Amino acid sequence: MRARGMWPRHAALLVVCAIMLVPFYWVVKTSLTGENIYAYPPRLLPQAPHLFNYVDVWYLIPFPRYLLNSVIVSLLAVGGNIVLNALAAYALTRAFPGRRWVVLLLLSCMLIPFQATIIPAYLITARLGLLNSWLGLALPMLSTIVCIFVFKAAFEAVPRSLIDAARMDGLGDLRILARVLLPLCKPAIATNVILSFIWSWNNFMWPLIVTRDPLMQTLPLGLARFLSYVEDTTGALYAFVVMVLVPGLAVFLMAQKEFMRGLTAGATKG
Amino acid sequence: MATLSLRRLRKTFGPVEVIPGVDLDVGDREFVVLVGPSGCGKSTILRMISGLEESSGGDILIDGAVVNQREPKDRDIAMVFQDYALYPHMTVAENMAFALRYRGVARAEIRSRVAHAAEVLDITALLARTPRQLSGGQRQRVAMGRAIVRDPKIFLFDEPLSNLDAKLRVQMRTEIRKLRTRVPTTTVYVTHDQVEAMTLADRIVILNRGRVEQIGTPEEVYETPATIFVAAFIGAPPMNLLRARLEGARVVLDDGTALPAPAHRHANRAVWLGVRPEDLVWRPPGTPAIGPLLHGTALTVEPLGAETLVLLEVAGQEISARLPPRSVRRAGEAVALAVDPARLHLFDHETGSRI
Ligand SMILES: Nc1ncnc2c1ncn2[C@@H]1O[C@H](COP(=O)(O)OP(=O)(O)O)[C@@H](O)[C@H]1O
Ligand SMILES: [Mg+2]
Repeated sequence: MRARGMWPRHAALLVVCAIMLVPFYWVVKTSLTGENIYAYPPRLLPQAPHLFNYVDVWYLIPFPRYLLNSVIVSLLAVGGNIVLNALAAYALTRAFPGRRWVVLLLLSCMLIPFQATIIPAYLITARLGLLNSWLGLALPMLSTIVCIFVFKAAFEAVPRSLIDAARMDGLGDLRILARVLLPLCKPAIATNVILSFIWSWNNFMWPLIVTRDPLMQTLPLGLARFLSYVEDTTGALYAFVVMVLVPGLAVFLMAQKEFMRGLTAGATKG
Repeated sequence: MATLSLRRLRKTFGPVEVIPGVDLDVGDREFVVLVGPSGCGKSTILRMISGLEESSGGDILIDGAVVNQREPKDRDIAMVFQDYALYPHMTVAENMAFALRYRGVARAEIRSRVAHAAEVLDITALLARTPRQLSGGQRQRVAMGRAIVRDPKIFLFDEPLSNLDAKLRVQMRTEIRKLRTRVPTTTVYVTHDQVEAMTLADRIVILNRGRVEQIGTPEEVYETPATIFVAAFIGAPPMNLLRARLEGARVVLDDGTALPAPAHRHANRAVWLGVRPEDLVWRPPGTPAIGPLLHGTALTVEPLGAETLVLLEVAGQEISARLPPRSVRRAGEAVALAVDPARLHLFDHETGSRI
């Protein structure tokens, strides 16, 4: 009875999923054939698929180097987010004079678009001598206010008595954070990983500004550069897109179970 | 070996004075129970002793040394929390060993201490499980095990049994009693349940709105309650308190019934007359009257098997009495009750303190 009642819903969900996935399928299909995406009538299945486009991308531009840059910068950003956001969030769960004002300040800073702070950010990075370096590329993405609040909410959901018990057990603040809070807040960690990875992986504006050396460029910049190199872009371009997307998907798939739990935390608890 | 002393210990939260000043001395290996209604400041006192909460004034002394400024970990105190506060991401054994790992205790030593504590508490079979896989009673044992392995100077318990169902609570109470003899340690135990206090304590501290109403052995607080608050708090059902006047050596109720006063120092003043439900003796109708009697009408009758709880109206006020089974049968019956004048308590009408 129940299963029968469910199937229209499942069918509807399947249709929606399919619609969402069509553009992505089209990208993969085009990358394997290079056919005109506006061809009419459109072909559902790729004809004579091949991997030449991928080979082109790998050799035409220093793709491995861009990939390395992107990976390193994103790792820095992810690491920075976890460590710095967790520390900041932990501080915000403790009582200290002026805490309300700090929270307010952070919240209001969320309203400022990155573009508005890009010049001071550039000047600071330059002053630090970090232009054209991996650290410089990651610098403005090392901490994100939204993600601080993700941690803060998760920490506040941990029973107070657990932290008291840890203090009685002789742990200092850093160990309470590392040994008690973080292990209990894996969904918040996953959320931090995914969000900061995506933001850093897709970032275009900042790398464009702080890199001078083409060898320090990241994948999104490489994509732009690539477009100016290749004439018949279609197939190669789409191959490039797939190659940029795949690492992000991999990270998401690895962290998604915890991520989902983070997004729906509290929704199902009694 | 440890003693604990509180000297005029105070706590204010902002403008609210929660603890106006508590003095208490806990002797070595003594088991002291803080009892009082919820919100009276028991946990706050306990948290100040542990160091989790800073005091607003006064001193805390352990073995004669002032520890006000010491961090919780430097006070050598272990605490058992109401919700057990077990780390959900660790096994029972890891939970118990956790504190020792940060105190530089050698691995072999940790293992033997955990094994020993597990044996004392009969949880050896559970060591590899996580807290999620345990029942409430088992979690409670683990929480106590975590305190025991530390071998601290002082144990603090904050309502450790209040999350258990009634049957398990009685069972765990017995367990704690047994534990006391096997691991004798200076203990401060907090509860709102007077039965728990009476059965566990060497001495009871009765708190009301952050103030100490009385400190004494269970017998003392039961036999000679210092205030009407204590009188009404200790004992179930609580002591009956009747409006009355002390006139010379007699206590006169509103309806004119006169009873001999237990202490007759002060004449002519309004008092509360206290009498415990169990000190009222049923007089079957027709038995010759010996001494003064209270006459009343049964309002409700609860036969409990071994005894019958009767709520009666006496002198325009309600009192309860614990009578023998098959004494009073139904509501509306007239009941005569005898009372030993030595079992009467008198309290000042204004201040509520014992006369
Ligand atoms: N952190 C706090 N801030 C403000 N008031 C508090 C705080 N902790 C406790 N109180 C107040 O102090 C009083 C005593 O609380 P508590 O010690 O927890 O009582 P008990 O444990 O006896 O039930 C209560 O009225 C409570 O509202
Ligand atoms: Mg409490």
